[in-house]
Amino acid sequence: MVYLDHAATTPVYPEVLDIEKEAELLYFANASSLHTAGRKSSRALEDARKRILNCFGVASTHTMVFTSGATESNNFFIKGIALKYQNRGKKIITTKVEHPSVTNAFRSLEALGFEVVELPVNDKGELEPQTLEAAMDQHTILVSVIGVNNETGSINDLKALSAVVKKYPKAFFHSDLTQAIGKTKIDYSCLDAFSFSAHKFGGRKGVGGLVFKKQIAPSPLLSGGAQEFSLRSGTPNVPGALGMAKALEISLQGVDGKIAKAHELNEYLRKSLMDLGEGRFNSPESGCPFILNFSLQKHKASVMIEALSEQEIYVSSVSACSSKSEPISHVLEAMGKSKEDAGNSIRVSFGYETTKEDLDAFVSTLSRLLKEVHPR
Amino acid sequence: MTYDSLMIHYGELSTKGMNKKAFINTLYQNVKHALKSFGVGVSYTHDFILVKLDDASYEPVLARIQEIPGIQKISLVAKVEKDMNEIIKACLELVSKEEGKTFKVDVHRVDKAFPVRSYDATCQIADEILHNTDKTVDLHNYDIFLKVAIRLDYAYISCHEYPGLGGYPLGMNGKVMHLLSGGIDSPVAAYKLLRRGIALETIHFASPPYTSAAVIDKLTDILGELNVYQRNIKLNIIPFTKIQEAIYKYVPEPYCITVMRRMMMRLAVGLAKAHHCLAVSTGESVGQVASQTLQSLIVINEVTNYPVLRPLAAEDKVSIIDQSKKIGTYEISIRPYEDCCTIFKPKKPKTHPSLLEAIEYENRFDYSAMIEEALERVEILYVEEGEVHEAVQE
Repeated sequence: MVYLDHAATTPVYPEVLDIEKEAELLYFANASSLHTAGRKSSRALEDARKRILNCFGVASTHTMVFTSGATESNNFFIKGIALKYQNRGKKIITTKVEHPSVTNAFRSLEALGFEVVELPVNDKGELEPQTLEAAMDQHTILVSVIGVNNETGSINDLKALSAVVKKYPKAFFHSDLTQAIGKTKIDYSCLDAFSFSAHKFGGRKGVGGLVFKKQIAPSPLLSGGAQEFSLRSGTPNVPGALGMAKALEISLQGVDGKIAKAHELNEYLRKSLMDLGEGRFNSPESGCPFILNFSLQKHKASVMIEALSEQEIYVSSVSACSSKSEPISHVLEAMGKSKEDAGNSIRVSFGYETTKEDLDAFVSTLSRLLKEVHPR
Repeated sequence: MTYDSLMIHYGELSTKGMNKKAFINTLYQNVKHALKSFGVGVSYTHDFILVKLDDASYEPVLARIQEIPGIQKISLVAKVEKDMNEIIKACLELVSKEEGKTFKVDVHRVDKAFPVRSYDATCQIADEILHNTDKTVDLHNYDIFLKVAIRLDYAYISCHEYPGLGGYPLGMNGKVMHLLSGGIDSPVAAYKLLRRGIALETIHFASPPYTSAAVIDKLTDILGELNVYQRNIKLNIIPFTKIQEAIYKYVPEPYCITVMRRMMMRLAVGLAKAHHCLAVSTGESVGQVASQTLQSLIVINEVTNYPVLRPLAAEDKVSIIDQSKKIGTYEISIRPYEDCCTIFKPKKPKTHPSLLEAIEYENRFDYSAMIEEALERVEILYVEEGEVHEAVQE
C-alpha cells in the first residue's frame, strides 16, 4: 500500500498507542473527582497541557482547552467569541478558502444577526493583508484565517495578518492550524487563538485542542460540569491528552529537517508529473511542501482515484464518483481556477515516512492508467 | 384466558388444488425459518399454520409474519377444549377484556360431529355475554367481532384479525434472474416479484474503475433489506468494463445506451440459463428514460426470446418512490454511487432506435467473445440475513 493522503489523516505513532494504553490503566479515575485517584488523573492532564503549550512556545502567554478535535475547537472559538462580544460589534471576518468547520460556523451566525464577510484570496490561495485591512473597521470583533490550506497547501502570512488585526483592539485573531503544525514554521505567539487535531500529526482521532491567550474566555459551547476552566464541560480524556502531547513532541522533533525533506519530495513529484504532461498544479510553489494539488488535463479525477485505489495507492480529491453530485472545490474556484479544473483535482499529501519510491509508484501507476483509462 | 397463538390462514393457496400440499409445505418452512429467533412453536394442518406464542408477546411475531409472502390473513387466537361450557366461559372472559360496546358473534362448525349446531352455539355465547357484561349485540355496527371456529382438534376463539402480505409462498413459482442497478426502481421490482412467490438471483454490471466499488456495498445493503422476503439472495457481479469501452469506441453516441442494454440483456439471459432461472426481470417502466420507450424496449428485447418480466411497466415514479420507502431501500438507493459513469452517458440518446442500425453497430466488434469472457469471470456474493458471503467457486 502506498498511502499519500496524510492531509486526511495520519497513521498513529506506536508510542502514542503505548502511552494511551498505559494511561488508561493508570489514570482511569475521573480527573474531576476529589479523591486521590482523581487528583492523579488531573495532574496527568495538567502535565499534558503544559507539555503541549511548551511545544508551541507559548506557555507564558497562552493556555489551552482539550476538545474532541479541530472542528469543535473552531466552533467553540468562533461561536463563543461572537456570542460573548456581540455588544462590541457584529462584524466577523473569514476567507473564502476555509475548512467547512470554520465556514459553516461563521455562516450559522448570520442567522443570529452577524455580518459575515468571506474575503477573497489571490491566485496562490493566500489572503493578502491589504484585503483584510480594507475589510476591517471598529465593528469587527473576530477574524479567522486558515494557516495552511487543507486542499492546496497555500500558506497565509499569519504574522502580517495579525499586525493588521492588532490595529483594531476589539478584534480577536484566530487561525485553524490543523494542516500547519509540524508541516511549516509558525509564529504561534502572534495569534489570539488557534485550533488543531491530534490525528493530523500522528495522534488518535477524537482529540484536539484550542490554544488561546490567557485572558480570553469565549462563551462555552458545551454546558455541563464546568471542566476545563468552565469553558468546555465533559469528563476530560486524560489518555487522549497524553497521547496528543506525545504525538506533538515526536512530530516536532527535528521538524526543520522533516520540512526540508518534504520540499525535496515536492520538487521531485512536480518534476515527475510535468514529465508525464500533468503539470496543472493548483498548489503554489511557496505553499506547504507536504501537499501537492493538481488538476488532470484530460481524464476524470474521480475515475483515476478509483483506479489508483484498486492498486492500493491512496490519494484524494474533492470530487466524488457520482453524476448526481459533482462537487466543485470552492477553494480552487476562489483561486480563480476554471470550473473544469476546480472539479477535477487530485491531492497528494506526504507524511514524514514518505519516500521517493512511494512517489515513483504513484507516478508510474498514474502514467499507465492515463493510457488505459478513457478521458472524459 | 388469554390469546395464546397466532393462526395463519392460507390465502390464494386454497385455490391451488393438487399443489396445495407443496404450497403448504413451502409456506410452513418459510414461516418456521422466519420465526426461528422468537423461539415459538410452529405447526401446520390442512387448513392453517399455528404459531404457539408461549411467553412471547404477539406484536413482534405478528409483524414478522406480515412480511412473509403467501399469507392472506392472520388472527390472534385462544385455543380451547371442545366443550360448550369451556367455550362459552372463554368467550365471555375474552370479550369482557375487550374495549368496545357492541359485538357480533360468528360460529363456524368445521367439525360436523360436534353436538351443538352453529346457530345454537352463537345464541348461547351471545346470551352469556349479554347477561354478564354491559355490551350489546349489533350485527352491523359492531366494535368487536368474535369468531369461534370449532375444528377437528380444538375450538379457536379470536376477536382480532390482521392482514398478511398476500401473494404466494416464496419459491413456489420458480426463480428468475433480476437486474439490480442500485437505483430506486430495481429494488421495488424485486420486492414485487418476491411478494408474488418468485425467488430471485440478482445480476449487476460493474465497470471499474469508471464505477466505484462502493456501489457493491449499496447493493448488498439493498439485498439486506430484501432478505426479509428471501433470506438468501445471490448477487452475480459481471465485469462490464471491456464491453463498455468497446461500445464507446465502435458505436455512435446516440446508440450507446441501446447497444449497452442489448449486451446486458444477452449477459442476463446467458447467466439465467446457466443458473436455471426461468426468466429475466428488470425494474424498467415504460417511458421514463430514453432506453425505456416502447421503441427502445423492442430493440433491446430482440436479442432474446426468454421471458422478460417488468413488474413496474405501468407504474409511475411517485408510486415507485413510495414503495421503495416502504420497503426501506429508498435511502440506500439515493446514495451517490451510480452504476454507469458519466463518461459513457450520451448527451442525446436515441429514443426511437432502429433495430437494423443497432445490429450494424454492434457487429463492428466481436461482442460474443467478450460476453463469454464476462460470464466466465462473474463474481458471486451471497447476502444472507444481512451478512455478505463470498461464494465458494462452483
